[in-house]
Amino acid sequence: MQSIPHRWFGAGQSSAADSAKAGAEAVVEAIGGRAPKAVVVFCSVAHDLRALLAGVRAEAGPDAAIVGCTTMGELGNSGMTVGGVSVAALGGDGFTVHTRAAHISESDPRAAGAAVAESLRGLHDDHKVLVLLCDGLTGHPHDIIRGAYSGIGATVPLVGGFSADDRKFEQTFQFYGDEVLTNSVVGLALGSDGPVGIGIAHGWRRIEPPMIVTKSKGAHIYQLDEEPALDVLLRRNNFEGTADEFFDRGRPLQPLGLSRRNGEDIRVIHAGDDEERSVWGTADIPQGAQVWLMEADRQALLDGASWSCTEALARLDGLAPLGVLAFDCAGRRAGLVEGGMDEEIAVMREALHGAPFAGFYTGGEVARIRGASGLHHLTLVTLALA
Amino acid sequence: MNWSTHLLTEFFTAVNAAENEETAITHAVQRAVEMVEAEVGAVVREGKVLGAYGFGPAVPEARLRAVAAGETLLDVIGRGELYAVPCPLGVEHADALIVARLDEPFGPEERQMLQGMAQVLGLALRSIRVLAAERHLRAEKERQATSAQTRQRLVESLLTIQRAISARRPLPEILDAVTSGAAELLDGATVALLLAEGGQDRRLSVASTCGGTDGEPAHESAARAAMAAGSVLIRPDSTGTAIAAPVRVTGEMAGCLVAHLPGGTEQHTEQRDQLAAFAQQVSLALTDARTVEAVREAHHDPVTGLPNRALFLKILNRVLASRGTSTDPTSVLFIDLDRFKAVNDSLGHEAGDQLLALVARRLRGCVRASDTTARLGGDEFAALLHDSPREAATIVGERVVSAIKEPFRVAGREIFIGASVGIAISREAVEKPESLLHNADVAMYRAKKEGPGRVRVYESFMHSEALDHLSLRGDLQRALREGEFRLQYQPLIRLGDGGPAGVEALIRWHSPTRGFVSPVDFIPIAEEFGLIVDIGQWVLETSAQQVARWRREFPDLGLNVNVSGHQLVHPRFADSVMRALAIAGLPSSAVTLELTESVLMSEPDLGKAALHTLRGLGVQLSIDDFGTGYSSLAYLRELPVDELKIDRAFIARAELTGEDLALVRTIVELAQILGLRTVAEGIENAAQLQALRGLGCAYGQGYHLCRPTDPEELPARLLTQLVEDRVTRPRT
Repeated sequence: MQSIPHRWFGAGQSSAADSAKAGAEAVVEAIGGRAPKAVVVFCSVAHDLRALLAGVRAEAGPDAAIVGCTTMGELGNSGMTVGGVSVAALGGDGFTVHTRAAHISESDPRAAGAAVAESLRGLHDDHKVLVLLCDGLTGHPHDIIRGAYSGIGATVPLVGGFSADDRKFEQTFQFYGDEVLTNSVVGLALGSDGPVGIGIAHGWRRIEPPMIVTKSKGAHIYQLDEEPALDVLLRRNNFEGTADEFFDRGRPLQPLGLSRRNGEDIRVIHAGDDEERSVWGTADIPQGAQVWLMEADRQALLDGASWSCTEALARLDGLAPLGVLAFDCAGRRAGLVEGGMDEEIAVMREALHGAPFAGFYTGGEVARIRGASGLHHLTLVTLALA
Repeated sequence: MNWSTHLLTEFFTAVNAAENEETAITHAVQRAVEMVEAEVGAVVREGKVLGAYGFGPAVPEARLRAVAAGETLLDVIGRGELYAVPCPLGVEHADALIVARLDEPFGPEERQMLQGMAQVLGLALRSIRVLAAERHLRAEKERQATSAQTRQRLVESLLTIQRAISARRPLPEILDAVTSGAAELLDGATVALLLAEGGQDRRLSVASTCGGTDGEPAHESAARAAMAAGSVLIRPDSTGTAIAAPVRVTGEMAGCLVAHLPGGTEQHTEQRDQLAAFAQQVSLALTDARTVEAVREAHHDPVTGLPNRALFLKILNRVLASRGTSTDPTSVLFIDLDRFKAVNDSLGHEAGDQLLALVARRLRGCVRASDTTARLGGDEFAALLHDSPREAATIVGERVVSAIKEPFRVAGREIFIGASVGIAISREAVEKPESLLHNADVAMYRAKKEGPGRVRVYESFMHSEALDHLSLRGDLQRALREGEFRLQYQPLIRLGDGGPAGVEALIRWHSPTRGFVSPVDFIPIAEEFGLIVDIGQWVLETSAQQVARWRREFPDLGLNVNVSGHQLVHPRFADSVMRALAIAGLPSSAVTLELTESVLMSEPDLGKAALHTLRGLGVQLSIDDFGTGYSSLAYLRELPVDELKIDRAFIARAELTGEDLALVRTIVELAQILGLRTVAEGIENAAQLQALRGLGCAYGQGYHLCRPTDPEELPARLLTQLVEDRVTRPRT
């Protein structure tokens, strides 16, 4: 007799060209014949998103909560895809699922974070976590996370990622039920009677000496140590050429670490302006901050991935993991080119002892266990469920 | 690595960008919490918990208030006990920024950084509140003014007050604007502003009134009732209706605006609302005054409320830097008060401060609203005039002189002072504010030298003069310290028998660097820089001791000593004189103090008490240079004068004309009528001596009789004088 597990987690992937088929294939693999309470979908913006979601819905059934977003690459047990789809599904009486979505208003991005935090309301399970999938191009990642934190407080951990559109930086999408949203936050409040574990690790290290951000506005840096910021980055990387040449062909991203009490808060610089001699990324860099250029070699990044998974599992009170949601910074891919991606997936498979996992390459990661800050960059965040 | 310093900069940027209190608090709490990797944070302000962050829906308000009061552990449901640190937002209240962390207590460096953050937040909140109050007021105005006409008047009145507030006018001026504005709007109501004083009994004092009399008891009772209720009160009384609107300062009940109108309460509901709006204004003014207190202390003179020197230079710098073209003339007036020190010395500092405040008010009345006036220090003021060429600036300077010349009413009496004005006009494209002000200062010295109440425009030649002037001051200080002064004595001769009646002590200064300097040159400077009191005392003490020694040989020898007006008004002048005489062992009846007519004329009231005291103790008083001032015979009656010295101008001609003689005869006869001695000064030849004897003048002084003489030679001269004079005395 087939018993219905008290809690279950499954993952599936598809590289099918047809969007509806890809969605259906991946979700079928993930649910494995069980009735899912929640389905989490990560896919490329290149897909026909509505068709893909319809394919997911057809297989998941009318009662499953569907959430998800577009990516800069998808990952799962089978490996990494670009232009594919990766799905996680979970169910069983041990899990409770609530979802909310909110539009991000330019004038009050916090409100969106606070609104989706409302999804935790009425969730009385022993263990809780809020998974956030946010538009990665609003320019206000911090405020969205702060809004969510202010709504839920220190008692519930936060994880998640910022959606992407491959490498176009034009428009990203979020999935909420059967809707395809943009400029929104989708929240999945997950309650469980089993433990949840979260891992956070990056593997980047500082390059001395530090610099002071002497002029900045929002995510734009104009001066480092009173010298044009672009000049500083080119000089310190021994690179001669334009900003485009530097970021497109030379170094696709430049991590900057902001001085913080216990280390650094990483920002990714991914573009520059030859006229202004300025550079910018996706999150604000406050004037007056002390920053380091950050570097990593392949082994350090792989160690980071391993550490993130190990840390998440270590918090499961000794239970075996049912599965893992992974939010891996797209920036890490740049440090893991030429076979590195496959190595990272292999490292994760090993560290997770074969547990199913699904995730995506993000434009920024969310993870808060302690303290109040929840935004990360160049980091692998893992959420393990047991 | 000092991570905290940079975080403070980040924090400062984030908080100062906030436009309202809520945002500032939210940003501050979130940044502070994140920066020390704490879990939760909040602000407790005026007993309320604001910006609570990290608690979720259940904010432990009571426990946060306990932390603000000093508790160091914070129990958070679901997280257990957190290490908490309260950081005060200011000095006055128990307001605090609180952060709390789960894993470890806060180190000293973190605490220090958090204190810094809290202070930054406190400052930001106070300035936001001022702005918010202004906005609130505008909303109030819109809502309350019902008829278009009343609204217009209300707006105008409130705008006047707002201008006064934003122009950082002194608080009393703003409060007066509030009461007079309210009285006008309420059609002839009497309006009083009562403010609670510090201390336990919280006595109410009247800060400003308009119409009616100060502190009517009805006002106070209505005020107390409204303050107790915390809301606007309207109630009938025996003569009409009283409306009282409480005034709060940073949330605290601080006083009450009370109006009294004829008629019953039912016709005054609109007036009640209008008064409430004015009460808001007072709240704003007082809150603003407190908020900017720190800034004002650094930039404003507390006595006059005017910008101080530092701020004036800043403003001047800005004006000079922003000139449209290099030819836009900017003028600086340097205003120095004449005789202010005398007022300050005789009436006390409080009266002096009152006078300065009144002067400041008049100065502001002499310039345009867009011009800047400042108090540079002491009795020096300055004015900055935009786009004012030489002619316009000179007109303003003359306006200042005549405004200050009008009597001031201070401490129950009329005070007459004057002002000298120096003007510098910027011509250069690039001009330093300091040098422009300095040039105006130089021009003022020049003006002062030419006499009281002058206005002079700076010219480059004045610069070297001023340098000399300033170094003279330094040399004088040294002279006093190093004993470079000495005295000569010139006998006063009885014209009847040629015998010496006394000697006049005359100060001499032989400077090692300047050579001989005439008292005519250095006495005014000593007076100007306040050195004259010490110099005068030295003269008195030295000459008293000298004459006391001579009196062993010449027992009836008297001493005449010149006294400056500055000495006369010094509060301890009479004491100083008597002490000098006591030390020397010289009887007071042997001493005659000589005062110039101009001193007595310019300050008829000042020093009168000291002179009467001294006269009572036997010291005699002489009017020097008599007949040269704008003679008012009244003071001869009022002052205890014993002697008139007829100015040398009347007898300087080698041969006296009939007119000269007529004048001298008049003075002598006048003196005889009043029972005064007469001394003729400047007798230079036998003919003059003869003529004066003939007119009945009793005493004389002059080169013909005896030149000023060094003390060691004087006894011999006195003896010779007696002999010679007996020989030359005409036989009758």
